[in-house]
Amino acid sequence: MRTTGKPGRSAALKLAVALAALAATVVLAACGSGIEGPVEATAAKVELEKKASGELVISNWPLYIDKKTVPNFEKATGISVAYHEDINSNEEFFNKMQPLLSSGESGGRSIFVLADYMVAKMMKLGYVQELDKSALPEVEANLSKSLRHPPFDPERSYTVPWQSGMTGLIVNKEKAPNVHSICDLFNPKYKGKVDFLNEVRETVPLVMKCEGVNTEKATEADWLKAIEKIGEAASSGQISRFTGNDYAQDLTNGNAIAVMGWSGDAVQLQIDNPNLEWRMPTEGCMLWSEDMVIPIGAPNPTAAEAFMNYVYKPEVQANITEYVNYVSPVEGVQEILVKREPALGKNHLIFPSASFTKNCSPTPTLEGKEEKNVIKAFDEVLNG
Amino acid sequence: MAAAIRRRSVAYFLLFPGAFWLIVFFVIPLYFMAKLSLDTEIPGTLHYHFTWHWDNYKEALELYDTQFVRSFIYAGIATFLCLVIAYPLAYVIAFKAGRWRNLMLFAVVAPFFTTYLVRTLAWKTILADESPVTEFLHAIGLAPNSHILYTAVAVIAGITYNFLPFMVLPLYASLERIDVRVLEASKDLYASASSTFWKVTLPLSLPGVVAGTLLTFIPAVGDYINAEFLGGANNRMIGNVIQSLYLTQSNYSSAAALSFVLMAVIMVVVFVYIRFAGSEALMGQEAV
Repeated sequence: MRTTGKPGRSAALKLAVALAALAATVVLAACGSGIEGPVEATAAKVELEKKASGELVISNWPLYIDKKTVPNFEKATGISVAYHEDINSNEEFFNKMQPLLSSGESGGRSIFVLADYMVAKMMKLGYVQELDKSALPEVEANLSKSLRHPPFDPERSYTVPWQSGMTGLIVNKEKAPNVHSICDLFNPKYKGKVDFLNEVRETVPLVMKCEGVNTEKATEADWLKAIEKIGEAASSGQISRFTGNDYAQDLTNGNAIAVMGWSGDAVQLQIDNPNLEWRMPTEGCMLWSEDMVIPIGAPNPTAAEAFMNYVYKPEVQANITEYVNYVSPVEGVQEILVKREPALGKNHLIFPSASFTKNCSPTPTLEGKEEKNVIKAFDEVLNG
Repeated sequence: MAAAIRRRSVAYFLLFPGAFWLIVFFVIPLYFMAKLSLDTEIPGTLHYHFTWHWDNYKEALELYDTQFVRSFIYAGIATFLCLVIAYPLAYVIAFKAGRWRNLMLFAVVAPFFTTYLVRTLAWKTILADESPVTEFLHAIGLAPNSHILYTAVAVIAGITYNFLPFMVLPLYASLERIDVRVLEASKDLYASASSTFWKVTLPLSLPGVVAGTLLTFIPAVGDYINAEFLGGANNRMIGNVIQSLYLTQSNYSSAAALSFVLMAVIMVVVFVYIRFAGSEALMGQEAV
């Protein structure tokens, strides 16, 4: 009797033990997730090996590199690259990675490409590694003069620019011929046919420019006033919606006829639809850059620096520029493209002159309490 | 004695997969969410610590009450539309379809062969401002501004479309189970077709109605895909707010608090609904 009874009871017991063990594992894993718990920020510096080899995982935005560069890099160095186009929004990507980063891990990735302000925030939180410049001679030699000393990283010790660009207007020349300024987007004539960007640091400063505010000296009150103006336009139906890259679809489907948009996108859109045009707002544009960084805990930083260095060779960068049509941070690219493809080489959206961008401003950085209040107010507008 | 123990251990054994899944992937995460909803951030660090901060709830509700109410209205309208569309459809499949029955059932389930996201994105093309559909609706006077996409109409239409099968299938299941002899008896007793429907068919199909409305309404309230892609700046739902609190504002505590409020309100609504509709209807036909 006992012998038949025992296995049953021990099965139940085993089950209970197994469940308890699993529960404990999950509890421990959740505790280590990094959202809750103490802060452990440690400044890290890249430690290089003699020769770059092995595997390299890169996270970048979609359609932000040509098809040849990665395979050519693999051939030239013997490094195998897993190139993920998994960044669609600075905030979303950051918040997805943040629990890992705060426990010193990078999710297996060795390079992130994120906007200046996001990189600056990550530097402050101790989430990026200081670069060893001895492995970056091409960057040292070819980085555009105007990008060498940004306020958030004065000596480029942590960041290497990937691409730059301008935020301005993209209009349908046929249906909105008279839109030339950000202020024009508030004209009731275009009600319901206007998209704004969902990027607080581009949309709000552009509207502040329309209001005549100097964006580099804007106070919190200026920001909130501009956000209020945007909010009123959104609830009255003037602004159809807030978009990321997907304004392209609205423009081609006719859902929108004038939007806030990015210069590189416009070059590509124009090829498919000659009616669309990027316009420099009469108030000026916003200038931005996105940077490559090596996050803390990144495996194989040696290979990561080898890649950064590789894309700074002008002939490699020329292929990227030819494909993405953004403003390249590498000098010597224009000379190559003027010969290879004069239309691109002379396009002022890809190689803007100083006079073309004279009214443009760098994307402002927000900090601390001001950042919180501004983002909160803008998010309330986004969420209608 | 031994047999009883063995029987009990068999029950435990059968419970294991379900219990395991629910504890590890529902109960434990729920506990951490509850804790997070009462946390406050250590300023500037994105690290949170537990402080019994009930104000998270108050603040979240004060800021986002509009989207909250909006979500329930959208989901309510969509559920009602689903019911109105699905009931005749399920009725036809159950009683009139004959040899077409399997084909029609397949047609109801067929959309699941494409992902939810792609189906919703397709609606963007269907409802675009210069699309044939919008132009047709404009011509017959249903779209005065030739503008449907990015309005409440588009969001509700999308939700109705996406959740329709969840209404059709339980309705079909309960209608199909009805004993045809009961309907014949009703006819034998000189009931007209309509009074047979109202007095016999409809009451017998109530379990399907209750199950269908719950399966539609509950996920529809929390849905954010439709509002994200088909809605404009004034049509965001509570799911969009929770998503943006988590992913753009890094405000984990408010997001967790809002999720809990949503869960609680849905539970109350469902509880009241079941009491009102009669829990017997949910349990099956025994009550009728």
